[in-house]
Amino acid sequence: MGASYLAVGWNRQKKIYDWLIFGFCVLYLATFVVLTAIFNPDYTFETVLIRATSTLAVIILHVILSIGPLTRINKKFLPLLYNRRHLGVTMFCIILVHGSFSILQFHSLGNENPFVSLFTSNTHFGSLADFPFQALGFFALIIFFLMAITSHDFWLHNLSPKVWKTLHMFVYLAYFLVVMHVMLGVIQYETNPVFIIIMLTGSFTLITLHLIAGTREVKKDNVIYKLKQDGYVLVCDIKDIQEDRAKMFCVDAERIAVYKTGGKLFAVNNVCKHQNGPLGEGKVIDGCITCPWHGYQYLPQNGQSPPPFKEKVSTYDVKIEGTHVWLNPKAYAEGTERPGAVISVVNAE
Amino acid sequence: MIKPLRKKHLQIWVALAVLIPVGIISAWFSIPPAAKDKLLQPTSAVALPVVLKTYPSRGGFEFNIRTNTDTTQFQLEWINNKMLTYPTATIYETRLNDSNVQHGKLLGRIEARGSYYFMGDSTFIPNNISTYQLVLYDFIHQRNIDIIKL
Ligand code: HEM
Ligand code: FES
Repeated sequence: MGASYLAVGWNRQKKIYDWLIFGFCVLYLATFVVLTAIFNPDYTFETVLIRATSTLAVIILHVILSIGPLTRINKKFLPLLYNRRHLGVTMFCIILVHGSFSILQFHSLGNENPFVSLFTSNTHFGSLADFPFQALGFFALIIFFLMAITSHDFWLHNLSPKVWKTLHMFVYLAYFLVVMHVMLGVIQYETNPVFIIIMLTGSFTLITLHLIAGTREVKKDNVIYKLKQDGYVLVCDIKDIQEDRAKMFCVDAERIAVYKTGGKLFAVNNVCKHQNGPLGEGKVIDGCITCPWHGYQYLPQNGQSPPPFKEKVSTYDVKIEGTHVWLNPKAYAEGTERPGAVISVVNAE
Repeated sequence: MIKPLRKKHLQIWVALAVLIPVGIISAWFSIPPAAKDKLLQPTSAVALPVVLKTYPSRGGFEFNIRTNTDTTQFQLEWINNKMLTYPTATIYETRLNDSNVQHGKLLGRIEARGSYYFMGDSTFIPNNISTYQLVLYDFIHQRNIDIIKL
């Protein structure tokens, strides 16, 4: 974990996912080339390559952007989350081929600098039909490039999670640029409906998923806990929490995970130190709260990662009255040991 | 994820839920009536048997007007001899001395290499043809590449 920068953990599962991604890409590109050879034999190789890579990258981009909300909606999708960065880098490599070949094909045959040509050959910024759509693709490519080169954890730590997350939010801008790059580009002069179908289904699905997952999550954050006493608020019943699992409550500024393990309840801050993963959605493994995203671990009683690791999260007080669980949202300093709340046999019934 | 970030994600997607449909719809309605690439495609991929008129080769390409045996169908045969320096071009037929492609008729789209056959109409009849010209128009860079009197 934080003790030193380890190479990305290439465990067996990750390798399998990588092979699946690779296999899918090869299969897609091959199918595209063969179908074009059959149905559009007049197309040049460059055109086929430009189109095969661009459509593949756009499909992968839609998958990448739907992973986040899908894991919110159903935990079964979590394994995809582990591989999202690999998908992202793969997507970048593929679209780089598209961008490079487009510049080669459309801008390097003349005697102007291809990049100058990219920006000066068409300046109809006021027109939709003739808009310089390639510039939109170019800016999207720059964003994907920045994301790809900073994708390693090294950059996450160096840039601070806040800057890194902000940079990676630009993917939404990039997505919008891509939508417009396609709509104002190929769709203006190509009659094959495949392009518009990909864009319509893709963006409709993404918008729906994000709105559903987003409103659900924000609603959870805005729950108001009415019953209060001595700084504690009533959050749930003991039965509501499963053994070695947690429930999350957003009482004040941030979510708190209340874990049930070994006959006790413990409360820790929900935000993992690695990449802000939701600790309350993980489980207790070998006595440690284990983050569902990349497996960082914390001891329930004090929020500290077991040695040699040094991560710490805040802890909170919990108490039990009857079968009710009360939580005090006042955070202790990160890594502070708390006794937890003992579940007696009477409570448990 | 932290609370402010969850809120920001949702706000961004609410904004995108408006921007993307607006973008898609306005782009859709701006599609020009005659889609420029209407034919990279062989409406008539096979050469008609009779060559009606040939034109001298010009810097890398040449073309001919072809017809069938009873002169009821016409065709422009376009041959790129060398790799052209403008990979995506369209060929328009316009009236002589009017090089604005918007006033002309789109015959088809060519790429850097290869031979192409495009259907023509009665303007290709020998008596009419000399009042027309071909405009080679680069729709990516939006400029006329070449104008050739027919
Ligand atoms: C330097 C950056 C880029 C340039 C110069 C560029 C250029 C082009 C050009 C010229 C076309 C039309 C090609 C044709 O007529 O077939 C095109 C289409 C397209 N582009 Fe880009 N593009 C760039 C970046 C991107 C990026 C980042 C994406 C998405 C991730 C993308 C996705 C697409 C798609 C889906 C199409 C439609 C399919 C196609 O015609 O290839 N492009 N691009
Ligand atoms: S966010 Fe990566 S392990 Fe928690």
